[in-house]
Amino acid sequence: MVIKERASKISLTVVMALLGLSCIFPFIFMLSSSFKVSGEVMKFPFHLIPENATLDNFTGLFTNGMYRFEKWYLNTIIMTASCIIIKIFFVSFTAYGFAKINFKGKDIIFLVLLSAMMIPGDIMILPRYIIFKNLAILDTMWALVLPSCVDVYFVFLMRQSFISIPESISEAAKIDGCGHLRIYWQVIFPLSKPSIATMALFSFTWAWNDYMGPYLYISTMDKQMLSVGVKLFASGLVQDYGAQMAAATVVLIPVLAAFLFCQRFFIEGVASSGVKG
Amino acid sequence: MRTSKFQKKENRAGYLFITPYLIFFTIFTGIPFLMAIGLSFLNVKYITRLEDLKFTGLKNFIKVFANKEIMQSLGRTFEYALVYVPLIMIAGFILAVILNKGVYAKNTLRATVFLPYVSNMVAIAIIFKVLLGSNSPIIQGLKSLGLDFPLLLQNLKLALPTVAVIAVWKGVGLNMVVYLGALQGVPAELSEAAQIDGAGKWQRIRHVIIPMVSPTTFFLLISSVIGSLQNFTVIQALTEGGPGQATTVMSVNIVRTAFMKYDTSLASAMAMIMFIIVMIITLIQWHGQKKWVNY
Repeated sequence: MVIKERASKISLTVVMALLGLSCIFPFIFMLSSSFKVSGEVMKFPFHLIPENATLDNFTGLFTNGMYRFEKWYLNTIIMTASCIIIKIFFVSFTAYGFAKINFKGKDIIFLVLLSAMMIPGDIMILPRYIIFKNLAILDTMWALVLPSCVDVYFVFLMRQSFISIPESISEAAKIDGCGHLRIYWQVIFPLSKPSIATMALFSFTWAWNDYMGPYLYISTMDKQMLSVGVKLFASGLVQDYGAQMAAATVVLIPVLAAFLFCQRFFIEGVASSGVKG
Repeated sequence: MRTSKFQKKENRAGYLFITPYLIFFTIFTGIPFLMAIGLSFLNVKYITRLEDLKFTGLKNFIKVFANKEIMQSLGRTFEYALVYVPLIMIAGFILAVILNKGVYAKNTLRATVFLPYVSNMVAIAIIFKVLLGSNSPIIQGLKSLGLDFPLLLQNLKLALPTVAVIAVWKGVGLNMVVYLGALQGVPAELSEAAQIDGAGKWQRIRHVIIPMVSPTTFFLLISSVIGSLQNFTVIQALTEGGPGQATTVMSVNIVRTAFMKYDTSLASAMAMIMFIIVMIITLIQWHGQKKWVNY
């Protein structure tokens, strides 16, 4: 029985490892190819270690004079950081109101917000364009940052996590004379660091990977984001496979690094709450 | 009942906390939603030109249903969903069952399958276009084995299912992790009891595990259906709607109609129709769940 069990565990591991390999092979191919000259990328059989490793593909990204990778990179970093910071405070502040204060009409307002989650994003793209134009934030990063702050989904998740903090803790603070603002900032917020970390990480990947937002709302090349820029670059250099792979690597590295180091927050955050697709 | 002084204070504090959010929500979600409804009944061309605005009733909707090209893209949206939804549901479940049964290096394997989910679609598309293009090492390898492999992304018939499969590859990690959480919540005694009663491996999965995780299946089904309709980025990054019109689904068509043909109202009507379809599918699932979702 024990032997049979071990055999089944080994065979399942092999099956799973093959599936896992199919998930990471494209990334391995990309990383390896980004150090190759273009002719070698398409060589069969595939070599993991480049024959003549070169950094030209990477330096080419930042010195080609036509595609402003350094600008796009900086724009994306600033936009993503603004998204994360604003969202952390804005969402947790709102969630505190819904979780810890008993005011009139709370449940109805929350229900209205929740039902808005059912509205598919596609029907918002045009009206939002008009609104951005009227607020004079079209073609600026604020057109990407501000709408992402009203993500109902995270208000819902943060509210859940605040509710799970025992009421007795805020009661004790109240007896000590704290108002809601102080309880939020000095008690509840510090106690919720793991859920805030999960929210920050998901905001990071979503903002960093967003393609549709910058594609529709940013038109000036110098203000463009990495996702759109990299696509332009790849369509402009169809035959230069090495350069394309280097470009893809440069886009993916920050998110992959975040994922490697903070895997726990990503995966367990999903498992406990079920983050949307 | 008289509102106490304390309750008044609570009300004030509550509104203080949620008002900033409600203002932003109204500007970026509430008003756009109402505008989307309004635009679909008007005759707006070009996004900014608002003179000689006219109420046109259902004219835009009739135009959508009379337009062969739009109806074909709606058909492709369903085709895409019919590949994407069953595949991502089944693959996510099977992967979670395997991981839950016990494998070595569980966390590493879980992370590798989840990795594509956090990755940038445009970067992924660049890699896949090279890997599936002519002359790629994979195609050459298959050729040297004597297999003539079609260029999946450039094939009129195969491009759409290929894009859907790549989307599944990217998204399946999420379904897997959510299912895994649900499977870990199934008490081991239940499965063991069934085993003692003589239930085989498949019977246990069929009659114990699947019913126990049905609430999760329901949740994932709804979010996968909605996800399958929001496929603009996947398709734009991989094929831009091509070859020909082979992957021009509704989401791509809406953006084209709005931002290239400048037919604002027609695009809004198309988006509203998608919205209504989502609502109907969700309602059907909501009613259907009573039959198969336990507790």
